[in-house]
Amino acid sequence: MNNTTQQIRCLIHHSLHLTSALLLAGGLLISGAVVAAESGTALKADDIKAEPYGDAKTVAKLKTGDKVDIIRKDGGWLQVNSKKGKGWVRMLSIRKGEAIKKSSAGGVLGLASGRAGTGKVVATTGIRGLNEEELKSAKFNEVEIKLAESYASSKPEAAGFAAQGKLVARPFNYLEVSK
Amino acid sequence: MSFFNSINKSFRILLLATLFISTTAWGGGLFDKELLKTLKQSAEEKITGQSATPVEEEVAIGRQIAGNLLGAAPLVRDAKLQKYVNNVGRWVADQSERADLAWHFGVIESNDVNAFAAPGGYIFVTHGLYNLLQNEAELAGVLAHEVGHVIRQHHLKILQQSKLLDLGSQVVAQKTGGNDKAQGLIGSGAEIMSRSLDKNAEFEADRIAVVLTTRAGYDAFALPAVLQQIGHFAKDDGDVALLFKTHPHPDDRLGKLGMAMGDRFDRVKGESLEARLYRIKP
Repeated sequence: MNNTTQQIRCLIHHSLHLTSALLLAGGLLISGAVVAAESGTALKADDIKAEPYGDAKTVAKLKTGDKVDIIRKDGGWLQVNSKKGKGWVRMLSIRKGEAIKKSSAGGVLGLASGRAGTGKVVATTGIRGLNEEELKSAKFNEVEIKLAESYASSKPEAAGFAAQGKLVARPFNYLEVSK
Repeated sequence: MSFFNSINKSFRILLLATLFISTTAWGGGLFDKELLKTLKQSAEEKITGQSATPVEEEVAIGRQIAGNLLGAAPLVRDAKLQKYVNNVGRWVADQSERADLAWHFGVIESNDVNAFAAPGGYIFVTHGLYNLLQNEAELAGVLAHEVGHVIRQHHLKILQQSKLLDLGSQVVAQKTGGNDKAQGLIGSGAEIMSRSLDKNAEFEADRIAVVLTTRAGYDAFALPAVLQQIGHFAKDDGDVALLFKTHPHPDDRLGKLGMAMGDRFDRVKGESLEARLYRIKP
């Protein structure tokens, strides 16, 4: 990558950020309605439960392909509203709808913080990918790998970082292979 | 008679042990095991000298691949980001049985949505994928998937099986930068990173990922949440072209993961740490 292309990329990048900022400004006005009702589809038949627990009372049964509105998430459970009833379904039984790709890629909060959306917007221009050819012709970069190695965290460092976030390690067995 | 019996018994134990090792190591057979042995011997002589341990060889191969990958896509110039990612990654990797590796993590400049793992503990996430993350648990989940590839040595298996690894070849003469000997084992550049692993290796890495994130105290459903996000991308979207080419579709991964997780995580709560996720300045 030479300097000129880098500059061009930067320019395009900046103008796109500006565009997404403008989109964001517009989006905020209508955000409430858009984000509140994220739609989803049942990937497989599953129960709608009264509470987010496997042994909670079954309120209704979803069939593959049934549409739901997602209200909120709690751990591995999604609270949903559907024609069949309202309650909690296992998150992995629901595929989030693709019609609302943009708003679901982080919602308004994501856009506001400048995280989601930007990658997406730039992407459609196809400026920079990481394709097979690029990988194949890649040349070893000693400076970069040394830089990468300079950021390594030691075990005690990582443990201290975890403690700051109130993360507590706990035992949990590996999962069996599912057939 | 008793002497014969005891020999017979120890032979049976040995046989059982051999079968166990060969099936758990790669999920493959004795042939793979032999290949691995040859690879290790060959690598030992070619890369780091006679006294090298298998781990040193693995790291030498991984470092070469990682250096090549960085040649194609450099690190995002944000020291705080890189340090943060190393903290999260190391904490997750330390929950695995290979906590003693010198783990390295990084975010690389690419709009692609992807993550890469090289042998020995070199793991990279693209800027594009990082931008999709909603919280620290999701970062942990993505890194844990890659940690899964490293601890089960999935890429070394690819090197063994593919023609990239020419066991009979002499040390390459041309200057490629880095470790010429290791380069001779991995083919061109970082080509190995664009190869598909066995589908089952991906499903296995997903299963390992949810367990490692859980062990680390995070929300177990963080990786599934990322997979759901990625599942929204259209198949022809250039950003996910390589990811979709080299991995089963996110829907398949979610389906498999759902079956493996079942109800075992129903009452397991974990942290998401949304506020602590380091945001890259646009």
